[in-house]
Amino acid sequence: MTQEPLHLFQSPSELFDGFTTISTASIVSYSLYVVFAIWAIYSAVATYHWLKYSHASSIAFPAIGIHLLVSFALIALALSGNLFL
Amino acid sequence: MKEFELERGEHVIKQVRKHWFLFLIELLPYAILALLPFSLPALLSFIPAITNYGINIDFSAPIGRALLGIWLLLVWTVAWGAFTKYFLNVWVLTNSRIVDIEQVNFFNREVSSLFLNRVQDVTTTINGIIPSLLDIGDINVQSAGAVNEFHMRGIPIPNRMRDLILKYVPENDGNGT
Repeated sequence: MTQEPLHLFQSPSELFDGFTTISTASIVSYSLYVVFAIWAIYSAVATYHWLKYSHASSIAFPAIGIHLLVSFALIALALSGNLFL
Repeated sequence: MKEFELERGEHVIKQVRKHWFLFLIELLPYAILALLPFSLPALLSFIPAITNYGINIDFSAPIGRALLGIWLLLVWTVAWGAFTKYFLNVWVLTNSRIVDIEQVNFFNREVSSLFLNRVQDVTTTINGIIPSLLDIGDINVQSAGAVNEFHMRGIPIPNRMRDLILKYVPENDGNGT
């Protein structure tokens, strides 16, 4: 009977290498996708209500415009961080 | 008006929304939430066990900026939703009825009418220091059948609105109709 060196079993943690390589940066980027999706849906719903129920008020379009402007500025801050700070 | 059709000879006299001051009070929690990240290091310094975490908060780092941007975007969007709801809640007085348009939530809208010939009593209430100073109050309109009772809460200059409603209430013909 040949004597072979003992090999360690593969550690369970190595089986989940795909999971353990998730970095903080990728978590943040996925969070950004989720938040942008929520923002887009919420904004679309609110804009629909403005356009349908504001009775052609002169405030409707400025309100939607200001919302989009501020939102894009905050999205730019989240993505690049070169604004404001 | 998309919610209701004006009848022949009917015209809108006044549209009223909640007083702007009440809307500002509604916005206060969102303003606090928006300022929260900036005051977080100072707040954490009051708790000795986690003071060190406050030092690590850095909004000039890319991840810090991303988290700050996410937070502010969420707060801004919800605050804008509150403004949308504020604006879409309206009371409309025409020369023949009062229409209460209530945006309860998105996709949840209630429109009810009370014809002025059914109005029996109009009561105004101004309660509190700030409402008295800013002339903010409630109007309670009672109808003949007591089925429809309209409450207008937090409207500006309620006494003027009450007088306006009473001006358009038709004279009673003695038969209660």
